[in-house]
Amino acid sequence: MNVEISDLTRKFGRTRAVAGVSMQTGAGVFGLLGPNGAGKTSLLRMMATVIPPSSGRIRLLGRDPDDYRERRQIRRRLGYLPQNLGYYPGFTVVEFVEYFALLKEMPAAEVHRAVATAVERVGLGDQARAKLRTLSGGMLRRVGIAQAIVNEPELLLLDEPTAGLDPEQRVALRAVLREVGQRATVIVSTHLVEDVGAACGRVALMDRGKIVFHGTPDELTARATGTSAAGDAPLERGYSAVLAEARS
Amino acid sequence: MTIAALSMPLLRLELRRNPTRWMLPPIAAVFWFISFRASTAYPPLWNVRAMSMQTSVVTVFAPALVGAAAWMASREARRGMTDLVACTARPRWGRQLAVWAATTGWALAAYLGCVGVLYAVIARQAAWGGPLWWPAVVGAASLPAFAALGFAAGVLRPSRFTAPLVAIAAFLVLETSVQLIHWDQPYWQVSPLVAGPWEIGTDQGVATFYRYLPDLPIAQVTFLAGLTAALLGGLGLTAGAGGRWLRRSAAAVTVAGLLAAGVATGWAGTGRLDPHGMIAIPALHDPADDRPIGYAPVCRDTAIPVCLHPAYAGYLPAVADALEPVLREVAGLPGAPVRISQAAATYRSGPANEFGVGLAGPAMTGTPPVFQLLLPSQLPGPIRPRDDLVSTIRTDAGRDLVAVLVGADRDPSPAQQAVMAAILHTSTARLDPDTAVAAQRLTALPAAARHTWLAQHLAALRADRLTLEQLR
Repeated sequence: MNVEISDLTRKFGRTRAVAGVSMQTGAGVFGLLGPNGAGKTSLLRMMATVIPPSSGRIRLLGRDPDDYRERRQIRRRLGYLPQNLGYYPGFTVVEFVEYFALLKEMPAAEVHRAVATAVERVGLGDQARAKLRTLSGGMLRRVGIAQAIVNEPELLLLDEPTAGLDPEQRVALRAVLREVGQRATVIVSTHLVEDVGAACGRVALMDRGKIVFHGTPDELTARATGTSAAGDAPLERGYSAVLAEARS
Repeated sequence: MTIAALSMPLLRLELRRNPTRWMLPPIAAVFWFISFRASTAYPPLWNVRAMSMQTSVVTVFAPALVGAAAWMASREARRGMTDLVACTARPRWGRQLAVWAATTGWALAAYLGCVGVLYAVIARQAAWGGPLWWPAVVGAASLPAFAALGFAAGVLRPSRFTAPLVAIAAFLVLETSVQLIHWDQPYWQVSPLVAGPWEIGTDQGVATFYRYLPDLPIAQVTFLAGLTAALLGGLGLTAGAGGRWLRRSAAAVTVAGLLAAGVATGWAGTGRLDPHGMIAIPALHDPADDRPIGYAPVCRDTAIPVCLHPAYAGYLPAVADALEPVLREVAGLPGAPVRISQAAATYRSGPANEFGVGLAGPAMTGTPPVFQLLLPSQLPGPIRPRDDLVSTIRTDAGRDLVAVLVGADRDPSPAQQAVMAAILHTSTARLDPDTAVAAQRLTALPAAARHTWLAQHLAALRADRLTLEQLR
């Protein structure tokens, strides 16, 4: 298992953003659904070793992120795209991705090839030398994905990766996720239920800091059966039904 | 430590995209306007121009560099990159050092370019000597320290306002700190603004006849290196900077830096004005530096040859022309010097930040006698125009020479005063009437007759055995 979480909590002051989450997942694309404020981003930030948990146990890639040496080893094999992607406007696409390849301590000899591959995979080959300040929001999002996958991560954490992407780009991104998910754990946090349906083999639904559903997209769809849950698509209705049940 | 933390590819990338490089043209322009023009306004002597450069170059580079470093240090927070970089494997300290090194690297490149141009100009114009490296080294050593200072401010207060605020603060602190530099507070001499005894200022008299003393520059470079290490090491102490080993290394660097800075400040506190016009620090002083530098003087074939140190060769025609009338009068007289020779100035410090500059011994020395000359430009004070220099030499050096010759260097008799006025062809208005009449009588004689009379009566005049009536 690449991600093993047990009774994980995270508090910000008096607010419990994550309240006793437990989950395990191996290779494959894992969808993390939930309404705003459900705790998805906090959970993802803990898995990305950005913030430590307040309590509970977490093991990533078979290592303990509490230990500095093991945390560094995890980080070398980690890809992370935060919800709000910051960037250095004076960097080119290639330089930005190269910067993260170097921060992830990739061997210098491999950086050039890995950067070119990552940039091509997100469809920015023709923009490789463009300054980031000249790119659209969707292109910047793809640059963020490129930096996340440049080190061929074994654990890829993406927070709202399709935000700002046009339909064509979203389809292309899902293909990338499926490809990466064949050998690595990909956890995608999103509001967009159709992304989960199209790309994820398993899905968890969070609400108020807790996981209220864990299963396959089909199982989530099935939860709508016999209910009057709202939604335009079957998966959306399953999502609404689970939330309604959790809150009742 | 830093080599491991600073990988070259990362440093190359930071250098390529460091915005400090866009500040270089305006910095170079300010350097030209302030440092270059001020330095080249001085006569083409390595000592005075290089020391002037050191004093001004720090105020040119430091504020801009402090601001640039603070701007770069706050980059991650300003650009919302904190989460993204926090989950990367490279320790934060290593990441920060790369940004600091790139910022410092560009500033150093600009500094070396500016100083290189200035030194090339001095090398073309200077008549003697070679580049004076210590002032340039102190200036260069100050850049990493100021960059570290700005960087630390940017890390601790990551905001878009930090950079302009610390740049202005650096400028104000530098400008006001000079008010604290006095002999009675010698610790402040560790400031890179100080190139020599502060009360004396930029003085043409030092480091020509004797070596440029490295004592104070060594203390300053040690202080700046220590300050740099302490500031950068301090950044590695914070939680999240890196692992235990890295934080221990940072602590060691910080302690070593603080120790070095403290020791260097202590050294500066013991600095004293040495006889050759520089600051000597007992713990660092090498007695070999007190030996004079050998040189072949440049001479002018006047009635009595006038010889100057080759560094002052440009002054020789003016000095010789100024002294020529007096030298014609006294050449060949008993006890007259066989040569006028420029001497090194000797410096003495006194209480209450006072100091004195003059000859080490009597003006006339040796057998056959040589008259020791101090040029006005060897004395502290403003740069003198050529006409002023000529008149000062004629009145001061010429009068001193004649006074020594006629024995009037202390409490001159009326006869000695009259003879001096006649030889120097000076106004008799301030003499008493009898003395003035005697002086005019002697002046009216043909030069050859006056010379013959002087040759016959100089011994009696020097022994104060002549009266005004005995003067022709």
